[in-house]
Amino acid sequence: MDNIVLLVVLPLLAAFLMPVVARSSEVVARTLGLSVLFISIGIILNVWSQSGQIDSQAVSIVIGGFLPPLGINFYVDQISLFFALAVPVMVLLFWPWHRATSIREYSLMMLLTASASGLILSGDLFNIYVFYELLGIASYSLVAIQGRVSAVAASFRYLLMGSVGSVMMLLGIAIIYTQTGTLNLAHLSLLAPEKLNNMLGLASFALILTGMGVKAELFPVNSWVPEVYGSVSSNLAALMAGLLSKLAVIVIVRLLILLFPQPEALQLMGMLGILGVLTGELVAWRSRDFVRMLSFSSIGQLGLIFLAFSIPGEMGMMAGIAIALHHMLVKPALFMLATGWRGAVENLSGVARRSPFVVLLFIVLILSLLGIPPLPGFWAKYLLMVGLSSQDGFIYTLGMIIVPLAMVIEMAYLFKIVMIMYRKDNDEPAVNNSNIVDDSNIVDDSNIKVVQKHSKWGLAIAASVAAMLIAIVLQLQPASDKLLSLANQLSDRNYYISTVFPQIHTVRMQSIK
Amino acid sequence: MPAIEVVLYSGAIGLSIIGLTGLLLLNNVFRMLLALVILESGVNLLLILSGFRLAGVAPVILPEQLSNLSAIVMNDPVPQALVLTAIVIGVGVQALGLAMILRIKAQYGTLNMLKIREQLEFDLAVQSGVATPVSAHSPVSLASGRERQLSNHKDEQ
Repeated sequence: MDNIVLLVVLPLLAAFLMPVVARSSEVVARTLGLSVLFISIGIILNVWSQSGQIDSQAVSIVIGGFLPPLGINFYVDQISLFFALAVPVMVLLFWPWHRATSIREYSLMMLLTASASGLILSGDLFNIYVFYELLGIASYSLVAIQGRVSAVAASFRYLLMGSVGSVMMLLGIAIIYTQTGTLNLAHLSLLAPEKLNNMLGLASFALILTGMGVKAELFPVNSWVPEVYGSVSSNLAALMAGLLSKLAVIVIVRLLILLFPQPEALQLMGMLGILGVLTGELVAWRSRDFVRMLSFSSIGQLGLIFLAFSIPGEMGMMAGIAIALHHMLVKPALFMLATGWRGAVENLSGVARRSPFVVLLFIVLILSLLGIPPLPGFWAKYLLMVGLSSQDGFIYTLGMIIVPLAMVIEMAYLFKIVMIMYRKDNDEPAVNNSNIVDDSNIVDDSNIKVVQKHSKWGLAIAASVAAMLIAIVLQLQPASDKLLSLANQLSDRNYYISTVFPQIHTVRMQSIK
Repeated sequence: MPAIEVVLYSGAIGLSIIGLTGLLLLNNVFRMLLALVILESGVNLLLILSGFRLAGVAPVILPEQLSNLSAIVMNDPVPQALVLTAIVIGVGVQALGLAMILRIKAQYGTLNMLKIREQLEFDLAVQSGVATPVSAHSPVSLASGRERQLSNHKDEQ
């Protein structure tokens, strides 16, 4: 069980050792780097199979022999273990296999893996801040390293926004620390009902939400999304939209459950979620280029996730996790399909005749994204609507109106693409691309051609995602049971506290009651 | 509150406000980065102050002090450790930002955020084939300026 710590240590070590080892032998460095990812996956699968009780029993791993709240700890429960598994798996899936990578890019990917695993496992507020910053540095550099100047400019704007966000987050952490005098999540959660249940607590939540929200594509701080996703390769965009945004969301939700009991915090998040849904979907509807459309639709989907998590109680938690996992599957698959369809949507006319299978895959994916029964996306949105209808309050009523409206807008632009794909006349592309300027800095010039072939790897990912969606439909009952147990575990504060502090659990529980 | 703490707190809050205002109002990317540095120092100072005691000593317990621990006022070491980490991370991010500014200046030939953004949007549109370099909507002056820049750059190499 203590092996879990290696999930952070090994990639971090690899990230910094790889450039050194590469000086003597590049092949050894690359092999070692990749094997770290496989070892990580092996460790998690081992933990999962050895201790079947992880389903019912979370574990707190103490690091360095100092017990919390003095020492730091990792908190391993079902959802953090699941995301810790998703990190190396998705990094491997979206590794830039199709082109030669420099050893620097390699080591940045390792840094990304280490910090992403640390972020989801950490049980200490300041460690969360440090891993979040590391994740930020890794992703700014990975975007900037893509070669084109536009990528550097997009990355710089992302860096400015991300750094301001993390300064805000630091301020929020400072407020929490002055109020409570501790940074351990479980200890904070014990103290929260009396010390953070006030305006200062709400202010610190708003600050942390702004900070983490930059990565989670939250409404006012997401202007980097279309610029960055538009200028990087589809693999990186898929990784960022699929995995990193979800990690930030899960950490926000964990902090919300443990630290901020006041209902105003939920309403704030719900309101920002609604604004995100509206702006994201409306701009996606207006955009003319496929990748940009996907980026804005991703903002909209993240808004839905925030709205779902803002519903108090089990239903909201289930809906939030369901939409998050569903988006985590579907959006990377769509980005992989977009490798072949970069460019204006008008250029896609007649694609259906040339590659009917790929278009069929695309249709299955967008039907699930829209929420057409019986695909999993429908059940996720169904949970959201049931959750919203069970609450009263302005935000939730507004949500009841906005969610179907957003679905209609989504349908309008996604079906428009399908219509263009099945259009007959592909002799005259609406936009002439023949005179594209030749940029001297292009490393990966496969991206500049507007309509090109899909990579086999990307198609395989998209096809397996579609197969998984159908498998979930067939296994709906076990899937929803699993979802319920995930939601239960994530939303149980007392359970978190008693896992980290088994000794004071009984005493404190009585005093709380 | 003693006068010195008032000065320190107002200094910290003032630095943060200067930094935030700079980020919102300035238009030069280098100055924006400097504003970020100022904002970070303001917040770091605020964090340090949260553990600061006016009469406090360094948080080290000497053997002869063990008998009367309650009589000693100590500064809280945790915020200091946090700020140390935050400073290191901040320096890393600023260095990365500066390197990016150098690349942007070399290629786009400007430090103006609005122009960079305009050029970025234009580049993205061209890359995805939505706009052509010579279309009516394109910022022709910018594009030609950029091409000049590019050719200058090649000449230098």
